Amino acid sequence: MKRRNFFRTLAAAPAAPALLGQQRRTAAQDGAAPEDPKLAVSVADAAADPMPRFFNAAQYAALEKLSETVMPGAVEAGAAAFLDFLIGRSDEARRNVYIAGLDGLNARGFASLASLNKPWTFEEPADPVERFLRVAKADIRMATLNSAANSAGKRFAGSGLYWYPLG
Amino acid sequence: MAAQEYDVLIIGSGASGGMAAHTLTKQGVKCLMLDAGPLVDFSRQRVQKQAYELPYRGFGEPGKLPHVAQANEFNANQWVDEKEVPYTYDPSMPFNWVRVRMIGGKSLFWARMSFRLSDYEFKAKDHDGFGENWPIDHAELAPFYSRVEPIFRVSGRREGWKQLPDGEFIEDTAPWSESMNRFIAQASRREIGITKMRRSLGRGQFASSFNLLLPDAMDTGNLTIVPNAVVRELTVDRNTGLVNGANFVDRHSKREMHAKARVVVLGASCLESTRILLNSRIANSSGALGHYFHDQTYVTQGVVAIDRESKGNQSGRAGGYAPRFVNLKRGREEDFIRGYAFDFNLAGTPDAKYIPAYGEDLDKKLAEYRGRAASVTIMGEVLARYENFVRVDPNVTDAFGIPVLHFECRYGDNEAKMLKHAMNTFDELCRASNFETLAKHDQPWPPGYSIHELGTCRMGDDPKKSVLNKWNQSHDVKNLFVVDGSSFVTGGYQNPTMTILALSMRASEYLMEQMKVRAI
Repeated sequence: MKRRNFFRTLAAAPAAPALLGQQRRTAAQDGAAPEDPKLAVSVADAAADPMPRFFNAAQYAALEKLSETVMPGAVEAGAAAFLDFLIGRSDEARRNVYIAGLDGLNARGFASLASLNKPWTFEEPADPVERFLRVAKADIRMATLNSAANSAGKRFAGSGLYWYPLG
Repeated sequence: MAAQEYDVLIIGSGASGGMAAHTLTKQGVKCLMLDAGPLVDFSRQRVQKQAYELPYRGFGEPGKLPHVAQANEFNANQWVDEKEVPYTYDPSMPFNWVRVRMIGGKSLFWARMSFRLSDYEFKAKDHDGFGENWPIDHAELAPFYSRVEPIFRVSGRREGWKQLPDGEFIEDTAPWSESMNRFIAQASRREIGITKMRRSLGRGQFASSFNLLLPDAMDTGNLTIVPNAVVRELTVDRNTGLVNGANFVDRHSKREMHAKARVVVLGASCLESTRILLNSRIANSSGALGHYFHDQTYVTQGVVAIDRESKGNQSGRAGGYAPRFVNLKRGREEDFIRGYAFDFNLAGTPDAKYIPAYGEDLDKKLAEYRGRAASVTIMGEVLARYENFVRVDPNVTDAFGIPVLHFECRYGDNEAKMLKHAMNTFDELCRASNFETLAKHDQPWPPGYSIHELGTCRMGDDPKKSVLNKWNQSHDVKNLFVVDGSSFVTGGYQNPTMTILALSMRASEYLMEQMKVRAI
């Protein structure tokens, strides 16, 4: 996993609460009131390696190989490791789609990817590998596009207004 | 101890409650408004983030808000948490109940589509024999639509169509794109009219009661707003049978309080207003309370097609709206009654799933198709049926100890036939306009997805068949008014907000007249 120096400026944060037991300094005491520092912190994905916990070794290897095939750049983006985290937390139905699909992919080989070249239908495929490949194509793309590694790239990266929990 | 006596207690700060406050306070009526949610400071409540900064890279926390298709990891906290305020349904009849609880309500986030209902809706029973007519018609509501539209600054193009009455528009004169002109030529051959989207421009970043109604109401000095007040039920004076206030629970502390007033106006949003009335056990001599639920049946991406002729860089407006064009001359021209609208765009980029490719081939195709994709949302009228209803679930309470709603709602044969017709019609229009279809379907989201809940407290002239009279006033309880979408008899295919605002304004003016002559 490439480590990269990456910083982002801390965006406008809610005002810090008054510290207990300390006098608030007045502007008069300071002269010109100093601003609080804006530390440019990094994100875990840019500085550390994820530890996959959900898929077994064979499933994980298939997912990693699949990810780069479906979406060049997925390995650098850590898409497989991220999906290991996401799917491991998801409901049983979603987990089973991945497990059945990855086991099936290992059994049949990557020629199965030919099903991704078939026209889209709204009916879910009955075959577990086909069903998995459809879902994985979308998930791998999103995990890659929305990664820190992709943020400097040319592809559209997701961003938006994030809502804090309501008070 | 309450600081003063209030003439009117308004429950809800969204479009309907906000318009009631706006109308009443300007004429000197002293109003207390309760809302279940907080007042939000938008500059502090939201922050720009990249998707990779979110815990789930934009996928959203698994299992959070499973019934809110509109939720994503960025906006998850703006919706009511399903665990805090649950609801129940039989698994065979799923329902997507989407809620917002903050000052301004859903009017903070709506898509702003701003239409009038027509006499095809107000007098639907006269036209095709199904259901009931509204006790009012377009002519009676028109003056109120005309006063609402300038407040919300509705942009649109006048067409003179009976099925979509024109309003007081900021005229939209933007030219169409080349693709759109091609599409319109094919549509008009088939007598399908296409117009500019009618949209509330609002002011600044909102077109909401929050910025367009509540500030003016507050300036009168006649409005007190109490946020974080979760109403449990209305209270009744045993001697008179009239309502005299509401019991509510503080959202943070769960402390129980009672608010008093001479009149109660319910604008808590369709299903929450009905829930309050059901929990209050009043106003239901008709047995109609909770029944005749309807919304609009939505198929999103019903057709996805690629424009063969466009290079993806056209100028001009590429999005349009086609209102109902079926069953206009006669009630039943097709194998279904009523009608649907197309909300469509011709210059999008298709979702990668529709492109049968992966890897670099997929990237190439996406680049090739960028700006050339047609996509349509089909919005169909849902028949208001007695059998589609909500009731209180006596076994389940929410985080505030208030009994929740149980839903029994499903779409029927009319909706299914209508959506199939819609999909085929749009597909055929695309092909005739030299587009290549990538995918098409006619499967709607579950009921509730449209976030246009209507009915369950309908108005009518007959107190045996309706909860409210033509003034949104309860037949049974004269000082109780219900001014949100629950009062609808039938909703058409049109987004309901303009109609809700107009009804609330009209009901509030009637209420004032009744108070002046001490009838209430």
